[in-house]
Amino acid sequence: MNGPHSSGPSTEAAFQPLVDALLVGDHKLAAAVAQHLIEQGCSREQVVTDGLEHAMGLLDDKCTVESFNLLEIMLVGRAVSAVVRVLYPDGYAPTEGRATFVIATLEGDVHDLGKNIVRMVLAGKGFRVVDLGRDCPVDDLVGAAQREGAAAVLVSGLISPVVSQVRKLRPALRACGLAHVPVVAGGAALKQLRPEALDVDYVAENAFDGAHYLERHVSGAPTT
Amino acid sequence: MNSLERILRATRLEPVDRTPLVPQLFGHAAVCAGLSLRDYLHDGEALAHAQIRARERYRTDAVFAFLDFGVEAEALGAQLSFGDDRYPDVVGCVLGADDDPARLRLPEPASAGRMPVCLRALRTMRQRLGDSALVAGAVAGPMTASAQLYGIENALFLAIDDPPRLAAALDFSTRLAIRYGLAQLDAGAHAVIVFDPAASPAVVPPGFFREFLAPRLGRVLAALRGGGAAFTWLNIAGPTAGILDCYAHIGADVATFDYYLSAAEASRLLPRTCLAGNLKSLDFLDAAPDVVKREARGLVAAFGGRGGFLLSSGCEIPPEAAAGNIAAMAAALNED
Repeated sequence: MNGPHSSGPSTEAAFQPLVDALLVGDHKLAAAVAQHLIEQGCSREQVVTDGLEHAMGLLDDKCTVESFNLLEIMLVGRAVSAVVRVLYPDGYAPTEGRATFVIATLEGDVHDLGKNIVRMVLAGKGFRVVDLGRDCPVDDLVGAAQREGAAAVLVSGLISPVVSQVRKLRPALRACGLAHVPVVAGGAALKQLRPEALDVDYVAENAFDGAHYLERHVSGAPTT
Repeated sequence: MNSLERILRATRLEPVDRTPLVPQLFGHAAVCAGLSLRDYLHDGEALAHAQIRARERYRTDAVFAFLDFGVEAEALGAQLSFGDDRYPDVVGCVLGADDDPARLRLPEPASAGRMPVCLRALRTMRQRLGDSALVAGAVAGPMTASAQLYGIENALFLAIDDPPRLAAALDFSTRLAIRYGLAQLDAGAHAVIVFDPAASPAVVPPGFFREFLAPRLGRVLAALRGGGAAFTWLNIAGPTAGILDCYAHIGADVATFDYYLSAAEASRLLPRTCLAGNLKSLDFLDAAPDVVKREARGLVAAFGGRGGFLLSSGCEIPPEAAAGNIAAMAAALNED
């Protein structure tokens, strides 16, 4: 595997086949092209930056609030995941992603499709995402945020009973000395409520909207 | 004019004495009756009485034998996980990612899984209410049922990886909805609502809906009409602006629209179809009653000149909704 300072083809043309394979959601081709790029001397970081992040940027531009469907994003996300597995068979190490986030669907909600989409989008943007799965107790999520040094805590909720669980997050983070860690919520149920009603920092309209907030947050840019 | 007459006239865009009140109150009826959701979803008699009590409490115009989206899959052998205060989840899908739906056989609604619970509830409600109020059944549409059979992620990936197999699953789910829906009409339902949340543009592109789902939904609605339904009703939540215009071609007499669309936009897309909506369902948890009442009054005013409107929520009102918010919606009509 190449190290962070290795060099190789870096022209846009060299990465276009990977970007194309990602955008049409061909996960097998995307993984094969990524493998080829590595064998040609590209670094993993180049593949992430010029391949994954470029493709996710194009998808991001295409997916407006009015035109956003899970099917297309899932297909791209599956291809991104296949490439990440080629680059990092054991997942991003804590030092390798742009930042680490922890994500879960909280206790009482087993619908994890939305969460999985967010995880794939963020992985495509070069972030390390620790996924606590579904039906996750608040304490487990907070513990993971502490353990992983998370830059943010992300929760997705499709059904209304999870609202009361989301409201427990902030006090639990505060009790663990993590009052500075922002909480971002999304999903069909949660996005009907305002941040103050959920006691979170941001309610994302969709996965890319949430990713924009997180990019602003980790870069130190204003988040509002 | 009784509740059923009011709704029937609205479905034909004819004048009514007041806007019909048809909120999507399903599991909330259990809460009102002091029942656990688990018991409510397993006992047709209890469900029927809870629905009737909820109708009396909020003075609505309809009762619903909607259980949950696991019913169809369970009837085919899927494993469900129940809780006291939540709807069940499918924890063991009937079909693995590589399985062929051809191996499935249509269930017998009189005996399969909890389908008899729904049929029992419909019989009891119809016996109690006769033709004084709408007695509505419910089936999962083809995309939602297919998603329950395969799991949503596997079903969506099939759309790309193996379109003929997804088409076979959709065809099976279409036949399933027809068989279950016709059994509900036989049991006393005036109409059967076709719920297909997985067909929403939030999940699949409008082009996919038009090519793969619209024809199959059309077959379901036509079969229900042929089976004696007083009218047909298609209920897809979420941002449906990209598909709403084809509901009329599909054959929907009533179309639910969610809070993503304004009343004016929905009316523009479906000028000759009765519309049901579109209060934000989560507002019933937290919003102050005066907010709900204001929103409801705004909707009634928006449809005042057009008619063909059922005051409702765009999606289910959560079981744990505050009673005061639902009462506020009803109060908005009393001040008409």
